[in-house]
Amino acid sequence: MTSGLRRAVWTVVLVVVSFLITALILRVSGYSVGDVFSGIIQGAITATGASTSSIRWAIPLLLIALGVVVGFRAGFFNIGGQGQFYMGACSALAISLGWREGPAGLVILCGTLAAMLAGVLWSLFPGWLRVRFGTDEVLTTLMMSFIGALVLQYLTAGPMRNPQGTGQTAASERIPEAFRLTGGSGVSLTVLLLVAGVTVLVWLVLERTRFGLTMTLVGRNATMARWQGINVRRVGLGAFALSGALAGLAGAVELYGPAARLVTGFSPEVGFTAVVVALVGLLNVWGTVVAAIFFGGLQAAILFLPIVTDLPPPALVLLHGMVAFLVTIKFRAVRRRRAAQTEATAG
Amino acid sequence: MEQILATTLRSAAPLVLVAMAGVFAFRAGIFHLGLEGLMIAGAFATVAVGDTTGSVELGVLAAIGVCLLLSALYWWVIGPLGANVIIAGLGLTSIGLGGTAYALGAIFDVRGSLFTDVVLPRPVRNITEGAGVIVAEHSIFVWITPLIVLAAWVVLRRSRFGLRLAAVGEYPFAARSAGVNPSMVRLQAILIAGALCALGGAELSVGALRNFTENMTNGRGFIAFVAVIFGAWHPIGAAFAGLFFGFAEAIGIQSQINITERVPREFVLMIPFVLTIFAVWLGGLWRRRSLEAEAGYAELREPDF
Amino acid sequence: MTAPSGPAPAGVPAVRCRSLGVSFGAVRALHDVSLELAPGRIHALVGQNGAGKTTLAKVLGGLQVPDAGDVRIAGRDIPPGDVRAAKAAGLAMVHQHFSLPPSFTVAEALELTAARPGGRAVYRRGDLQRRWQEDVAEIGGTAALSTRIRDLPVEARQSLEIVRALATEARLLLLDEPTALLTPVAIDSLFERLRSLRDGGVTILVVLHKLREVAAVADTVSVLRDGELVLGPAEMSEVSQGRLSDAIVGPGGHADSAVGVRAAAHESTETLLELAGTSSSESAFEPGLTAVDLRVEAGEIVGIAGVEGNGQRSLVSVIAGLTPVTEGTVRIGGDEVTAAAPARRRLRGLRLVPFDRNAEGISRSAPLWLNQSALRLLGRRRGRSPLISLRQYKRQASEAMDLWRVRYDTATQPAESLSGGNVQRLILSRELADGVEVLVAAQPTRGLDFAATEFVRRSLRGLREAGAGVLLVSSDLDELFELSDRLLVMYGGRIVAEFDGPYDRRAVGDAMTGAVR
Repeated sequence: MTSGLRRAVWTVVLVVVSFLITALILRVSGYSVGDVFSGIIQGAITATGASTSSIRWAIPLLLIALGVVVGFRAGFFNIGGQGQFYMGACSALAISLGWREGPAGLVILCGTLAAMLAGVLWSLFPGWLRVRFGTDEVLTTLMMSFIGALVLQYLTAGPMRNPQGTGQTAASERIPEAFRLTGGSGVSLTVLLLVAGVTVLVWLVLERTRFGLTMTLVGRNATMARWQGINVRRVGLGAFALSGALAGLAGAVELYGPAARLVTGFSPEVGFTAVVVALVGLLNVWGTVVAAIFFGGLQAAILFLPIVTDLPPPALVLLHGMVAFLVTIKFRAVRRRRAAQTEATAG
Repeated sequence: MEQILATTLRSAAPLVLVAMAGVFAFRAGIFHLGLEGLMIAGAFATVAVGDTTGSVELGVLAAIGVCLLLSALYWWVIGPLGANVIIAGLGLTSIGLGGTAYALGAIFDVRGSLFTDVVLPRPVRNITEGAGVIVAEHSIFVWITPLIVLAAWVVLRRSRFGLRLAAVGEYPFAARSAGVNPSMVRLQAILIAGALCALGGAELSVGALRNFTENMTNGRGFIAFVAVIFGAWHPIGAAFAGLFFGFAEAIGIQSQINITERVPREFVLMIPFVLTIFAVWLGGLWRRRSLEAEAGYAELREPDF
Repeated sequence: MTAPSGPAPAGVPAVRCRSLGVSFGAVRALHDVSLELAPGRIHALVGQNGAGKTTLAKVLGGLQVPDAGDVRIAGRDIPPGDVRAAKAAGLAMVHQHFSLPPSFTVAEALELTAARPGGRAVYRRGDLQRRWQEDVAEIGGTAALSTRIRDLPVEARQSLEIVRALATEARLLLLDEPTALLTPVAIDSLFERLRSLRDGGVTILVVLHKLREVAAVADTVSVLRDGELVLGPAEMSEVSQGRLSDAIVGPGGHADSAVGVRAAAHESTETLLELAGTSSSESAFEPGLTAVDLRVEAGEIVGIAGVEGNGQRSLVSVIAGLTPVTEGTVRIGGDEVTAAAPARRRLRGLRLVPFDRNAEGISRSAPLWLNQSALRLLGRRRGRSPLISLRQYKRQASEAMDLWRVRYDTATQPAESLSGGNVQRLILSRELADGVEVLVAAQPTRGLDFAATEFVRRSLRGLREAGAGVLLVSSDLDELFELSDRLLVMYGGRIVAEFDGPYDRRAVGDAMTGAVR
């Protein structure tokens, strides 16, 4: 077995173990695992519109997770995808509501670029702190994420609030229908082509350009890269920018696709889940595609589940946590321990 | 003004308790991002068991038990099983947040908040005016927090155990050659951190309030972690940083009441996060300087064999 | 835990180990090593790097669990991997690298590592310092007990390691390459101390690298080669130098021939590297440069001698462009590059072999081909497709590695799978591929075995023949004397002396301690 395949198999094993543990918790607290499982299959694949719904949830996960992959490649841990995603969506919304009369194609283009720019800015600030001052990016991107969530809350409750809105949660006005790339399902040929194109582009940049190779060297050993004459700061900033642009793009796709308006705290888990997706995808572009579809299916299923069971939705957060908790366990560490144990019992 | 100071103490106590947890972990070389999850697990267990049995003591004990168990699992995963400390820590946080919200629905069949009658004892009560307001109505945990900080300082800075802990965090080779098992010392540090998180969570749910609410920690575990860095991973420093963040939170709470007209509430709520970024920046500068001073050791790392 | 009083009974060996075996994956670090050491003598253990010396020392000290065999110290069985039991039997160890945490004060470090009975679990600073005052005073150590380890000079750290080891009245002292970081003068005084300890009844096992040092201090010598004990313990008086070096190198010690180096063509008197009045600010652990003047001409090797930590890192880092220059200029190949980015210097023909090859020279987890191709990633290439061909990169890398005889299976294996000598070949294959104007080689043979060392030295000479310039920074005086056309000595960030061959060891040694000027 090649080492890549071995890692993939091991990751699948860990994900399955996480599912089993979560299933055990559900079982102990009185839910029928069989019902939940068949509900997941229905909600993710077999029920009407289920597979579309899975894809719809996979798209933002994939785009943000690709950003995480890019960051990791250069050795940075951008876990602030949530905030970058929100800022992207807000910028696209601002452009679209501010220029309602504009030609649809142009507005969407400007809105998408603005979204990517917002994502870049939201990620470049911690990135700059990191490469300039060595400020730990794990905490700063996380804090920027919290701040982004509050900015969204402020905008949807204040300046962009829909005056006709009646619901308890604050929401913005809807963008004109002409600006939307999909219907409520969130999937259309345009969006699929866009996402596929971006994915291939990211793969090319990472694996087939000198910038991508340079990023790999910086990520593996920045000290060595410096000695080799590589401008580590510039590469780091480039990685942060690309990473933020992808999360910002996810925000635009969300707005022009299924959402059409922004609600306070929408998709609250997508940023963290994307980190899990990238890890389960072994920080590799195609692996991430597979993992995104898988977790998109889960998201679709958990929204479907209340129809067939009374499972509380936070069970999904628990499951994601379980996967994150276990997914980085090293195969070698487990094998070594087992070997030591058999030796101890034999001797 | 007295009200703000009173709120500061009340807000700071759980932060300081959890920050002490962070200091123990940090000194042992663990970047513990699971504090948030442990804290909310502690808060939930206190309310769940306390309300069921009617005894706040049992509630707190249960919280400590749950947090010790989760901490031991965390140690097992990042130590012997070699998982990534940060990701497993974030996973632990999600398990805490998701697991408690799930259990709220699955066990108590409620969504949102679970109210309770049990509450931590409050030694000083019924003062409504003057400077006495500052110390009134605080739970016993607020009162013992300074003692815990002092104890943490003695253990970490003036005891053999503290020396072993620091050696494990800074230079495991030194610990090993002194006959110390780094893995066991890390376990001890993580368990102490777990117990402290349980106390912090209990103070949050039945000290200052009388309920458990989904996601009630609201990032406090992360802020406590930042207090550790802001306080240069020194117990006293981290305690003052926690106090400062508590003050910021108190201002935020007050401004929600008083000045919402002029400053949108969201911007006030952002203050701790913005300060946090500043703190991480400052702490990073400090840390980098001291790391550079030790760079001579890089060449002296253990060879492969 | 009590130390045994008095020397072990006569006839009981200080150390006896039988058929020790240790493997790391496929690598056999120790194989069937049995050894008995008589009490009250200084025993030397020698061998090439990777011969298993450090592993053996660690097994004896309980820091490494052996796969096979057993250890007895002063007649007591030591359970495998039990540091405490080894200590209780009277063993104390001084490691190859420092074992005291840098941020600890001297008193705290001693309390942590020496574990003398009678201390309290909770202490006051003053009490702790009083507790350790005598030990530090006894050796004439001037280090204040509240000084942090990282602020101590290297010699003081080394002395402290010995104080730490002897604080528990050790009867068996194990020193793993204690001379690596010391000046010739400090080495002499270390040996003096070892002799007086021996005369006080302490048994000493010292791992050494240089035969000169073995001859100076040891009573008996044992040789490890490829994890096996091939000689000894033999009385020093009965072993000739020739037999000793044969035992160390073994029958397979022939080096393969050097590789043709492709350097740019040069007039023989061209200055390829020039520092004029160059200064830099100090880093946290080393002085910066102060008004350094230095020229490397085409076709010469200029050596830089000096005790480590006297600005050699700053020098290499300034030339590489990683540390900014505060005053003066740097020129490479005649062009001023004082403010130029590292990449421009590389493109101008600067090549580097950094100090720490595993941390600075390669990326351990990256594949070989990417490590080999690093320099190819620099610079802009206009008019070319932004996409690259991985196949071409891998082919070029394999060709270069084959030319330099790097031993590997596939170009995609991670660099950490290579041995030390092969890593250095990989680095040379990258740095000397083409367009070399000047090579700065920092400690290029440190930790390499005999064959690899010879290979690197021949490569440097080959580079000189090809007309490139070489700046060789080394702490190995023999190497510098053998290779350098001129020798500069650094002390405190300055060039304090310049020598032409033939070199006088004493004069160079004096300059290294700052005794001249």
